[in-house]
Amino acid sequence: MSATAVDQMYSIAEQVFSAMVDGDVGPLQPWIGEVPAIVDPIVGWVDTHGGWTGRAAMTTSRPVAYDLTRALLRMDAHEEVGMEDLVDAYGELVNVVGGNFKALLPASGTLGLPSVANCLPEVVWAVPMEGLDLAWRGHLIIVSIWMFG
Amino acid sequence: MLRVLVADDSRVMRQIVIRTLRQAGYDWDVREASDGVEALAAVRADEPDLVLSDWNMPNMTGIELLGAMRSEGYGTPFAFVTSEGSGEMREAAEQAGALFLIAKPFTAESFRDAIEPVLA
Repeated sequence: MSATAVDQMYSIAEQVFSAMVDGDVGPLQPWIGEVPAIVDPIVGWVDTHGGWTGRAAMTTSRPVAYDLTRALLRMDAHEEVGMEDLVDAYGELVNVVGGNFKALLPASGTLGLPSVANCLPEVVWAVPMEGLDLAWRGHLIIVSIWMFG
Repeated sequence: MLRVLVADDSRVMRQIVIRTLRQAGYDWDVREASDGVEALAAVRADEPDLVLSDWNMPNMTGIELLGAMRSEGYGTPFAFVTSEGSGEMREAAEQAGALFLIAKPFTAESFRDAIEPVLA
């Protein structure tokens, strides 16, 4: 894993979260220490086809995804969030992170539409390229980049 | 009051675009469309003053929407708000006749920076 690529991924994530989620750069930080398993995970991903083929994914726990949705929609902490809004908001966050990562790549390609599920669908020829562990308001979020071999 | 059509397949993103327009000081009359097909129908029904469109949408993409509008004779001012802001895409947008491309994530300031020169 190259330090430059991780720095670029962190920079993208910081820009996306500060502009769309928090309005400030403070709440998103690099994860420090051992990375625990994510309980009740939710994962969003977007694939790129043609030119560079691969996937950007973001995994966190379901309660954190609900909090992200509330933050995106400027909702109060206890307002109820529907599943449709959760999938839409979380998918759009991944889409923007993936789109900005794709813009760094030298090869052109087409970005697909985002998907959200309980786990990442297995692609046997996918090779993990980069990973970034983040703490958003102290909660773990993992961003990963996969290349389709 | 300027009438704008916001096209994006994400309802959440349409809300964010509309919220950011307001934060940028543009208290415009806003209509929404969830893809290019719906946006084209909205243009045919009542042509807006400006279309702000996502690029990557199901059924009809933003660039296909722009092409369809121009081929039908609609010269409606058109701009992209999209998650990809590469030089290649900006060039394609400009060649297709878009006024500007705002890359996500955006701020009220980046909206003003893109929109003010056009309004002037």
